[in-house]
Amino acid sequence: MTMGYKKIVLLKDTGSTGRTKEFYNLFLEQCRLENLQDDVQIVRVADIGMYDKGIVVRIIPGDITYAGVTEAHIQKIIQQTLKNNKPVKELLFTRASKQMRVVLKSCGEIDPENIKDYIACDGYQALKTMLAKSSSEDVINELKTSGLRGRGGGGFPTWMKWKFARQIEADQKYIICNADEGDPGAYMDRSVLEGDPHSVVEGMIIAGYAVGATKGFVYVRAEYELAIERVEKTIEQAREYGLLGEHILGSDFSFDLEIRLGAGAFVCGEETALIASIEGKRGYPSPRPPYPSVKGLWGKPTVINNVETLATVPVILRKGGAWFASIGSENAKGTKVFALTGKVKNSGLIEVPMGITLREIVFDIGGGMLNGKKIKAVQTGGPSGGVIPEHLLDTPVDYENLQKLGSIMGSGGMIVMDEDDCMVDIAKFYLKFCVDESCGKCAPCRIGGFQMLGYLNKISEGKAGEDDIELLERICNASKKASLCGLGQTSPNPVLSTLKYFREEYLEHIRDRKCRARKCVDLLTYHIGQEKCKRCSICMRNCPVNAISGDKQQGFLIDVNKCVKCGKCFDVCKFDAIIRE
Amino acid sequence: MKKLTKETLDACRSESQRKRGNWIKVGMSTCGIAAGAGDVFAILQNEAQKRNLDIRIEKCGCAGMCYAEPLVEVYVEGMPQVVYGDVDKETALAIIDKHISGKRLLNDHIYNVKVDRS
Repeated sequence: MTMGYKKIVLLKDTGSTGRTKEFYNLFLEQCRLENLQDDVQIVRVADIGMYDKGIVVRIIPGDITYAGVTEAHIQKIIQQTLKNNKPVKELLFTRASKQMRVVLKSCGEIDPENIKDYIACDGYQALKTMLAKSSSEDVINELKTSGLRGRGGGGFPTWMKWKFARQIEADQKYIICNADEGDPGAYMDRSVLEGDPHSVVEGMIIAGYAVGATKGFVYVRAEYELAIERVEKTIEQAREYGLLGEHILGSDFSFDLEIRLGAGAFVCGEETALIASIEGKRGYPSPRPPYPSVKGLWGKPTVINNVETLATVPVILRKGGAWFASIGSENAKGTKVFALTGKVKNSGLIEVPMGITLREIVFDIGGGMLNGKKIKAVQTGGPSGGVIPEHLLDTPVDYENLQKLGSIMGSGGMIVMDEDDCMVDIAKFYLKFCVDESCGKCAPCRIGGFQMLGYLNKISEGKAGEDDIELLERICNASKKASLCGLGQTSPNPVLSTLKYFREEYLEHIRDRKCRARKCVDLLTYHIGQEKCKRCSICMRNCPVNAISGDKQQGFLIDVNKCVKCGKCFDVCKFDAIIRE
Repeated sequence: MKKLTKETLDACRSESQRKRGNWIKVGMSTCGIAAGAGDVFAILQNEAQKRNLDIRIEKCGCAGMCYAEPLVEVYVEGMPQVVYGDVDKETALAIIDKHISGKRLLNDHIYNVKVDRS
């Protein structure tokens, strides 16, 4: 036989029956009966990359995958595939990952602290070719062809930013990499900086060449210790190899980089505030125009791009703008990295072509919902985004579509929610984040945010009237229109989108004083269902405020006036006798 | 290190690509380290040294499967390239014993098997 190793059978029950072990034993036994135990290894795997396809069997070498396998098929698989290398046609399944790794290609593959690993994977080839053959105009045209748009939130065409900065005559121009990632649940930029920092540096050098800048800054929040350490090493190595500094790769072009640490203020991710912060001033945003590409850092033309955008640039130059534009949908080109988190089985970083649907992301890549609960919504874009309800999950993901639905692409945070998540509570969480992070410079954001949060608190405490919803909406719209920067303009989005899709839930809080997800503590009451109660007294013993009284003969009662609704009794009761409603 | 030029970059690339042989990679980004990749890396390094194994043990970034961190990817010549997840100290030792020395795959910890289709 020509194969390099003996046969391996990987198997896993991808359904909800959990029969992996049982099936493994059956398979093992039958292989023994056929005397194959020395030629075939059978392995139970933790994840086979497919979900809800019954028992899946993958055979290597040959890489044959069977789905929906039952006991009755085992013999056939052994006789045909293991003994005679022939597939069992009716079971064949084509595995196709819906992910496409462009930016993340080397993340998890290469040693980020070793420049040679990056060079071995064609690193700095784009830079080399550009320095040898392309004018700055060529580079910008290539980006235009690629259709790359900013991956940090706004989605502004990258080539246009670069072109504006290039056109202006100035003695000094700057490139800034915005690594001030701060959305709750988002960590794409951190992972790229930690896993493949040279790609960002190469992107920045290319940007410098294209706009005529000789100096760049990586603005990264101080909390990202490991990312900072790796970027520092990266810059050092790049200098040592002649990829940063004077006469890069022996050419006439010079460019150098420095790191600037942010103290972790969310508003500093906004470009004008970020520039103020680098200049040593307080991180306050300022009105645009003038845009940074015209008048930015220290009054000079400045291009600010997000980490992921910059990491995409070398790949585009290497493989061509047309190649990049061939990926994705009509409106949005290329791939996008998302941090998939929340109530989903496989939380992690994913990279998908634009135009994929949210349902594919959650169920085909994310492996479906945790604990088999029903999906309620997906939140995208962090505190500036909104929720997308279950019935709209088949919408293709791109900048315009998400905006139409009242959310945004944002930097790529994606939080999956199930029926245990209360939409008022979610709106409150995100708004609270923005109220805490508001810099206070403009009134609509500073005062409006505070007022909106007040109304949400009233609703979740059951103290609101129906007209409060209208007032809440009015303030939301005012903050959207009148705030100075993106923070205040977008902070009402989580409120407005939950109101749009889950108004009924808001009304339930107000009219019926009920929170269907049982998240809003003030609307809950606890009492003991006497028919289920076994009078074990565990609830009484665990109540921290002595709100439960009674004895083993009489049974127990909760005093609602004393109860602080901590839920301890509910958690400790073994007989589901505590009723929470 | 002599500074690279447009001409010598390609030589550096071919030289860097020439690394062959067996290797283990441990995902050492924040997500991995938070899940205990630091200990796993140390154990693998110690064991490999103790047993005089001919294998390179390297760090890498986040492969995206944060739900299964710490992730350890193993390549041993003549076997498929395997990604193990949820690797604790015991699993790390089992990887050395069973996979590297015994040339058999571990049960219940495999999250991906990469097959060269070329």
